Amino acid sequence: MSIRNVRAVIRREYLQRVRSRWFLISTVGGPLFLFAAFALPALLASSDGEDRLPLAVVDGTGVLYERLADDLDAAGIPTEEVRWTSTVVDTLRRRARQGAIRGFVMLDQLTLESGDAVLFVNLRPNLVERAALQSAVVRAALEVQLELQGVDVEAMLAGGGLDIELLTSGGAQEGEPRFIVAYAGAFMLYMVILLHAVAVMRATLEEKTSRIVEVIISAMEPWHLMLGKVLGVGAVALTQLSVWGLTGGLIVKSGLPEMLLSGGPAALGTAAARPDLMAAMPGPGLLALFMGYFVFGFFMYSGLYAAVGAMCSTDEEAQQAQLPLVFFLIAPIALVLPAIESPSAGLSVASSLFPLFSPILMWARIAGGFVPVWQVVLSFVLMAAAIIAIAWVAGRIYKVGILMTGKRPTVRELWRWVREA
Amino acid sequence: MIATETQADVAVRLEGVTKSFGGHNAVSDLHLEVPRGSIYGLLGPNGSGKTTTIRMIMGILHPDEGRVSLFGGLPDRERRALVGYLPEERGVYRKMRVLDLLIFLAEIRGVPRGVGRERAGVWLERLELSAWADRRVEDLSKGMQQKVQFIGTVIHEPDLLILDEPFSGLDPINQDVLERIVRELQEGGITILLSTHLMDQAERLCERVCFISKSRKVLDDDLRALKARERRGVVAVDFTGPDAWLDAPEIEVSEWVEGTLHLLLRDPETHQVVLRRAVQAGAEILRFDLVEPRLHEIFVRHVSGDQEAPR
Repeated sequence: MSIRNVRAVIRREYLQRVRSRWFLISTVGGPLFLFAAFALPALLASSDGEDRLPLAVVDGTGVLYERLADDLDAAGIPTEEVRWTSTVVDTLRRRARQGAIRGFVMLDQLTLESGDAVLFVNLRPNLVERAALQSAVVRAALEVQLELQGVDVEAMLAGGGLDIELLTSGGAQEGEPRFIVAYAGAFMLYMVILLHAVAVMRATLEEKTSRIVEVIISAMEPWHLMLGKVLGVGAVALTQLSVWGLTGGLIVKSGLPEMLLSGGPAALGTAAARPDLMAAMPGPGLLALFMGYFVFGFFMYSGLYAAVGAMCSTDEEAQQAQLPLVFFLIAPIALVLPAIESPSAGLSVASSLFPLFSPILMWARIAGGFVPVWQVVLSFVLMAAAIIAIAWVAGRIYKVGILMTGKRPTVRELWRWVREA
Repeated sequence: MIATETQADVAVRLEGVTKSFGGHNAVSDLHLEVPRGSIYGLLGPNGSGKTTTIRMIMGILHPDEGRVSLFGGLPDRERRALVGYLPEERGVYRKMRVLDLLIFLAEIRGVPRGVGRERAGVWLERLELSAWADRRVEDLSKGMQQKVQFIGTVIHEPDLLILDEPFSGLDPINQDVLERIVRELQEGGITILLSTHLMDQAERLCERVCFISKSRKVLDDDLRALKARERRGVVAVDFTGPDAWLDAPEIEVSEWVEGTLHLLLRDPETHQVVLRRAVQAGAEILRFDLVEPRLHEIFVRHVSGDQEAPR
């Protein structure tokens, strides 16, 4: 009877949510939105084929152009050298306006010394092109400088090989792919946990205020209703995450983002230029950990949110009562940067082991850098213990609160509920 | 009435039940027994403690003092699963489809989904809601939602129905439909505990009534016996001439019932006094009948005067 009741609640919760318009919109719309945010600028930037026009290079130093032309060509940026004259800027401006060239770069003595250069273009280049241009210029300038010092750059570059052994487990720096994965993942965990835990709270509050709970509780244990609700909403969340994960994986696998990033189908296959997105994508192990931290985090927070929903009688009350919980979700977001950049620092280790912070911070440390296995295991053990404790306390608050009317209980009354329930 | 009921003959029994909220007594020392198979009316003005009483029977509230028993035992979950409970405040899952909601409500009381689906179909047909089975509950009118909720109350074929103000919010036609169904259910052997402030409905349906006023039981009796006992308290009059004598202190209330003026007397023995006053006042009396009081009138007489009488 009881298992069947829990199952009935899960089924109801799951089907109602999955069939809702909101679910369809967010599940399909989420990736579409991301994809659009990702692909549209690239598509727009390359829409008129301007990126296939040559980029004029005015080399005031006379030594840089020959060194960077090949690099840029490989990056899908054809170039053309233009001699420096006193009117060269005006001439090139005109040519760019007429659409004969894409724009032009001015290289001078300062470029040789500091790597700085100025790019004149009609349209802002995309990130990858900018990075390619920048690195080509800097590299060329370095080569020139080193050769002046008598360094055989070619030999050094060919022979140079360095095996890196980290003494301390280093974190990821901003801009690195794994930093992005760690940071975006942490933020996503925060959002998804909050979103669905709040959904549990709202559902609880709605049942309470509509009084349908009186009918349901007459047929089942309050604890079973709460469990079914949490599991049902959790299943919805997992469904959504799976859809996102699968479509995201397929999109990356298809090479579409790389194609778009490197500027149209013509650039496909120019491996040297495109950033290797596949390498930056989290592997199955990391994805499993992500899901693990989501599931444990969701259980902890949804239990707490269910108790908040049960103890309140209006939306406004619930909004207020959930503030302490929001704090526990936001605090780790504030600690996420240090956790990624210096995962072995005492603060990072300690804060990421605190169960309510673990889902976000431990994930960030794992994805961004390196975490000893025992810490990962310990975080799950601690979270499991927290889930049991929360279920015990929240279950009692829920049991009393769900049938209670009137104003919100004080902390002392809550404690009495927990003791007496 | 013979007072030797065995436990099995009583669906609900309250013994000395008291409940207060923060110093305010909601129910005081209430004793009552709902005989199995009867339609039992729990009557009283708003705020008199009807809903609190029902919530205690359903185990939603726990009495401060006294005992509640259901089918001769503790009101545990097994016994409560034999009850169909329609709360006063209408709760539904607004976003659910009507049929799904009914199947769910059946399922949590142990009715297999297939069976629940079948029964829901029959009931929806009967209450003329078949066309709405696949619509969301929120698309239905309030009255229709209430009918859906009623189906949810009976779909698991309970032994006892507890209906808290089941008629409020329904139009007269649907009130009649519901009334007929309630009566049929009772004929099928189901006990019905009905809380209402609509005396006409209670009068038509109930075999036994319990008046509650200001948290206390005022009266608890078989309706027929009650009416016989209260018979002399109401006079139907027809007259012409002055009507100032209607303000006589012996008359509690005077009101029109189906074209005849009914006088409800404070003391049933005073009808002679009233008649004398009328004649002395110069009224020409065409009719002066002692009639069987309506439940409404009995209610007004017993529920203290400082409380506003229900409609």
